[in-house]
Amino acid sequence: MQIYLPIAELSINIFLLLGLGGAIGFLSGMFGVGGGFLLTPLLIFSGIPPAVAVGTQANQTVASSISGALAHWRQGTVDLKMGLVLLVGGTIGSFIGIYVFALLKSLGQVDLLISLSYVLFLGVIGGLMLIESARAIIVERRGGGGTARRSNHHNWVHRLPLKMRFRKSRLYISAIPPLLLGTLVGMLVAIMGVGGGFIMVPAMIYMLRMPTNVVIGTSLFQIIFVTGLVTILHSVHNQAVDVVLALLLLTGGVIGAQFGARAGEKLRGEHLRLLLGLLVLLVGARLGYDLIATPEDFFSLSGGLG
Amino acid sequence: MKQFITQLLLPFMALIYLTNAVQAEGIVTDLSKHEVAIRSNFTGADILVFGAIERAGDSAISGPADVVIEVTGPETSETVRRKDRVSGIWLNYEATRFERVPGFYAVLSSRPLESIAPASLLKVEQLGFNNISFGKAWSSVLGGEEYLRTPDEVAPFSTAILRSRAQDKLYVADSNGVVFMGDTLFRASIALPASVPVGLYTVKVYLLRDGQVIDAISSPLLIAKSGLERVIYRFAHGQPFLYGIVAVLLAIFAGWTAALIFREH
Repeated sequence: MQIYLPIAELSINIFLLLGLGGAIGFLSGMFGVGGGFLLTPLLIFSGIPPAVAVGTQANQTVASSISGALAHWRQGTVDLKMGLVLLVGGTIGSFIGIYVFALLKSLGQVDLLISLSYVLFLGVIGGLMLIESARAIIVERRGGGGTARRSNHHNWVHRLPLKMRFRKSRLYISAIPPLLLGTLVGMLVAIMGVGGGFIMVPAMIYMLRMPTNVVIGTSLFQIIFVTGLVTILHSVHNQAVDVVLALLLLTGGVIGAQFGARAGEKLRGEHLRLLLGLLVLLVGARLGYDLIATPEDFFSLSGGLG
Repeated sequence: MKQFITQLLLPFMALIYLTNAVQAEGIVTDLSKHEVAIRSNFTGADILVFGAIERAGDSAISGPADVVIEVTGPETSETVRRKDRVSGIWLNYEATRFERVPGFYAVLSSRPLESIAPASLLKVEQLGFNNISFGKAWSSVLGGEEYLRTPDEVAPFSTAILRSRAQDKLYVADSNGVVFMGDTLFRASIALPASVPVGLYTVKVYLLRDGQVIDAISSPLLIAKSGLERVIYRFAHGQPFLYGIVAVLLAIFAGWTAALIFREH
């Protein structure tokens, strides 16, 4: 059954979109990340113009994050103060990202920007997660005490000024690292259409050293606001948000997320991170290959990228 | 003297006679519909072009005439980019912007265009893939300054448009597309794909005989979004800020509803 998308201006199979949304929702529920880093390239592969894919993906992420954020809010696993600091950064980052997106769009290099960002961030984050989780699994197998690590361990983050107390996270650290982290993720949301959870979650754990139980809730909390803002910015600058497409993706997405969350409960933290790391690396490798492999067609029409 | 004048006029008289003979043949045509509405279930549409060749009196015209149907969609500026390898990475290097590229182009005939009319005529009438004009071409490298190029210099870029659009069935050439029923009645079906751009189209029907255009009729064809699709599109382009807010609210509502439903279970 085909459906015509009014903003993307093409007709596409409705079940393909529902299935895509469902599969990504499953992963997102399982790992607690938005899954946009997979959905955006998949949408582009299905023929959706890149600008529409990015703008719509941001809109869809709002919906897919909200049920998770609500659940965490009820459980009290959201650090509101930390979330707000991240959000301030995220707002600044979104505006910078939209500006960069518009600039490169006029130069015809938006797809390069999107691909390079993916390869760089997915490669680094995926690699780090893989190494860390593999190490944790090995340490545990050997029976070594994994409990002593990372408590009271000070790093450069603790030597910065503007210190704030984050009670939920039991942290007393400078506001600068979360601000910068928020800004970086805000830029990524605007440029890549992703929620940014795949950067946010590991950075909170390894850089800010937040307790794992508040990480996902806090990340989801600020993702809702940043992706909401980016949706509005993309509508204003590019008219590239397709609500019909977003509604179809999120219908599949919210259902998939429920099953994903249940599947995730059965897996252990290290194993979850190992799997996610592998997935992230795979997507990065695929996009990197596309950058260096000789293209099938050297010519491309501007299409939806104006 | 009189004889001289007659001799001088003779070619003209012959011409007048010929023109009269030519005008004795014409066409009447119409489309099955003049408006196509794009709704959510739009998967493309077929437009039927039909008509008849009219011959005045018992004129001595014999032999089959040719009918060529040309459909042209709205023209927009289109940029084609060529990838080049720069320090190991393939990126869009050179770009060419054409000023007037039709979003849809179909040319249908009852036999190959080359055997219907000489190349010079096809060029003048811009009939066929090789003769569509895309307007002025401007090239630039990596977003640098644009400079005007000749059509020959940008041929690889214009053929890239033809190739890409043909692949999407937006550019169609069919030398069996016009079907004659008897000597005078003809019809042709034009397939519009789902990705067809909206706007005002022109359907032009040519009547040709002995490699010359005898008659031509243009009919308008409007392709427009309709219903909810039109409302959403207009809203997104007319009130983008409000549209963005509504999109976010919709997403919040949908996500929240889903959360409620699954909490019940």
